[in-house]
Amino acid sequence: MSLRLRLRGLWNKGFTGLSVLAVVLLGAALLIVLAPMLYRGFQAVVFVETVEFRKMEFWELDRGDEEALQAEVAAIQAAREPVYALLDRFSRGIDVERQIDQARDVYRRYGEKLRAEQTPREAYTEKRARAKALRDALTDAYETADATAAREHLQVVLSQADEPWVRDTMLREYVQMARDYGEVIATIDLGRRQEYAQALDEVKAALRKLLGPRPREEVPALAEDRYGATRWDLVQRDVEHFLYDEQWVQEQPGEPLVRKWVPRTDPAQFGGTALEPLFGMVETHLEEMLRPRWRFYWQYFIDGSTPGHFFGGVGPEVLGTLLLTLCAMLFAVPLGIVSAAYLVECGGDHRMVRIIRTCINTLAGVPSIVFGLFGLAFFVLIVGRPCVLAASLTLGLLVLPVIIRASEEAIRAVPETYKEASLALGAGRFRTFVRVILPAALPGILTGIILSVSRAAGETAPILFTGAVFYGDVPRSLFGQTPALSYGSYGIATGDRIGMEMPHQQYGMVMTLILLVLLLNLAAIAIRHRVQKRLRG
Amino acid sequence: MKVVGAMTQAADNRNSSNPSPVPRSGVAPASRRPQMPLKPQDAMSNGGPAGTERPIVQAEAFSLYYGSKAGVKDITMDIYPRAVTAIIGPSGCGKSTFLRSINRMNDLIPHTHAEGLLRVDGVNVYDRHVNLVNLRQQVGMVFQKPNPFAKSIYDNIAYGPRLQGIRRRARLDEIVEECLRAAALWGEVKDNLKGSALALSGGQQQRLCIARTLATRPNILLMDEPCSALDPLATAKIEDLIGELKASYTIVIVTHNMQQAARVSDRTAFFCLGELVEYGSTAQVFTNPRCKDTEDYITGRFG
Repeated sequence: MSLRLRLRGLWNKGFTGLSVLAVVLLGAALLIVLAPMLYRGFQAVVFVETVEFRKMEFWELDRGDEEALQAEVAAIQAAREPVYALLDRFSRGIDVERQIDQARDVYRRYGEKLRAEQTPREAYTEKRARAKALRDALTDAYETADATAAREHLQVVLSQADEPWVRDTMLREYVQMARDYGEVIATIDLGRRQEYAQALDEVKAALRKLLGPRPREEVPALAEDRYGATRWDLVQRDVEHFLYDEQWVQEQPGEPLVRKWVPRTDPAQFGGTALEPLFGMVETHLEEMLRPRWRFYWQYFIDGSTPGHFFGGVGPEVLGTLLLTLCAMLFAVPLGIVSAAYLVECGGDHRMVRIIRTCINTLAGVPSIVFGLFGLAFFVLIVGRPCVLAASLTLGLLVLPVIIRASEEAIRAVPETYKEASLALGAGRFRTFVRVILPAALPGILTGIILSVSRAAGETAPILFTGAVFYGDVPRSLFGQTPALSYGSYGIATGDRIGMEMPHQQYGMVMTLILLVLLLNLAAIAIRHRVQKRLRG
Repeated sequence: MKVVGAMTQAADNRNSSNPSPVPRSGVAPASRRPQMPLKPQDAMSNGGPAGTERPIVQAEAFSLYYGSKAGVKDITMDIYPRAVTAIIGPSGCGKSTFLRSINRMNDLIPHTHAEGLLRVDGVNVYDRHVNLVNLRQQVGMVFQKPNPFAKSIYDNIAYGPRLQGIRRRARLDEIVEECLRAAALWGEVKDNLKGSALALSGGQQQRLCIARTLATRPNILLMDEPCSALDPLATAKIEDLIGELKASYTIVIVTHNMQQAARVSDRTAFFCLGELVEYGSTAQVFTNPRCKDTEDYITGRFG
């Protein structure tokens, strides 16, 4: 007897334990799913910004203190100047063709100037000849692959440096060019010039990505090219590409390629050349050049973004999602409640009603992409183009079965005695439904609405063809297209670059969607709680 | 307090327009009940002991079928105004069916049909032209389980008057107070009229339901085992209330409780297997039943 009692107690405890475990596991699963999303998403809001971010914010989003920004920009320009100077000097030595072009250009301009000054014919011929000699010497120096020969040619130019006809005219540029080139060929192997030129392009591109375009350069057309690394995590990624060369090598024949990071200061790269100090310089002065600072970028949720979502926030997406959800609900909730009322109150138990109910249940299980295609083939055709109206009607249709089912259950759950009481007081069926049954069923109906709001806000497929755009502003009417969080996340995820270049933008959007849905749910639950409290007393 | 202010205003109104605020035994103004021809008021206010007046509900060979099965068969009985008529009988004998036929609440059950005549105030309620809304306003009903709406106490009572188109706040306040007083609930809830009706106790809820029914100004009150879900104290209060309401209303009460029937009713009908077995004054039925079945049932030897 007591053994059985004890056994039963154990059973009870076991079951209690199991159910607690199940709840805990569910909670943990939810956390495991959501936590990485939220963690990564929050990096779009809380991060270490650089001066490039502040520049971007000022120019693209029109926010920030102009004077402070200009002072800061001046300071970072000063810090960056030596880097650019070193790079320029080195590239003058490497990019031979451009140097030759420049030499020719100087020669041409010199001739034009002489003509403009109306130099007498003999003097003109003589001066031209002397300049031509210098030019040819320089060109020869550039063209030869032999360092000694090059040095001899340069010597020809340098020996004339102090002559007044060189020093006081534009021909002194030749001297500067010769000096630079002399410096460069002192440290590099002229035979590898082609290699250097290629590697130098990579270095320049990496530096551009890190620091943005050079100060006096033309403003690039694409917003994504206008700024350097805006965040410290991007700086770290980009500086890696700047300091190291990514190479894919096959160590043994037949083996797969292996990635190797070769430091650019390696002798195989720029080791031993005049460019070598550049890398150390950038690495040590990174903070002065970019000025990192912690930032709580709460405006992420209201800011617009640059095309392609490279910079900026998700404001239009948030508003678009809310708009779509609201319109979908305005369409689906009244229709759903009326349908449910029909099914419960008027339908009775005919075959027709059973068929309708089966259809609704089937509709609830139809994949959302099917709704999307239906919306394209029906609503878009009727309205004439993809727009918010078509998209929200499609979304509304998608959640309609859920609302009908929840409302039907809720209305059915209202005690029959309410209905009897109302009818016995002389109320008609319509009055009874509107005044007594509907209020009593409201909490249950609200539950259905909560479920559908989350669903409508998160669905991508129904709005894919019917009215969502990847990038844009919130439309001014129901006949415009709108960006939305779900579609934006989808777009970034399937896009080839943005997801890789700016991962925080993608996770930020997903996080915003999660938060938005959570917020909508909380609001609806609060409303339901109030309604319930009012009903139950 | 807001309500009190409204009440004062209501009192003024009362003086000028309606001299008798307490539930009337009479009829509503013609404008409110255009469809249901009623007897002249004097026919019912003649006074005299119950049973000597003209019956207000008359059943003549009345049967009601659920599908092909008869709920009640061939009932012929008269119910007299301003008296309490109790219907007793074993479960499933058709008491409730008969009761619910009087205001046609049985219509809620699909596939019912009636035969014979069932007249309320001389009009056959199963006539096709009967306006159900008017009928049910005239014949109020109190159910077995208290079923207040999930609304405030005030809104519960005002529900019926509002259906009749009464919108004026002062008038509604007046009706609410009247009905709550008539249902002996005013003292308990007057400070909490905006509170939820579901927060009341079971007995209070049932009295609220009675008050709510009174608010539509019925002539007849049908009570379907109104005390079966209540404790003895609450039952006693309801029984007292029935005694008070008897002066103004015709009450038909279905009960399983023989003592209750004996205590509250003037006339008693005993139903068995869908048929009316015996009908007479309560004193006669309980002390000197004409029928063997009635005696067995009353004395508890039924079966």
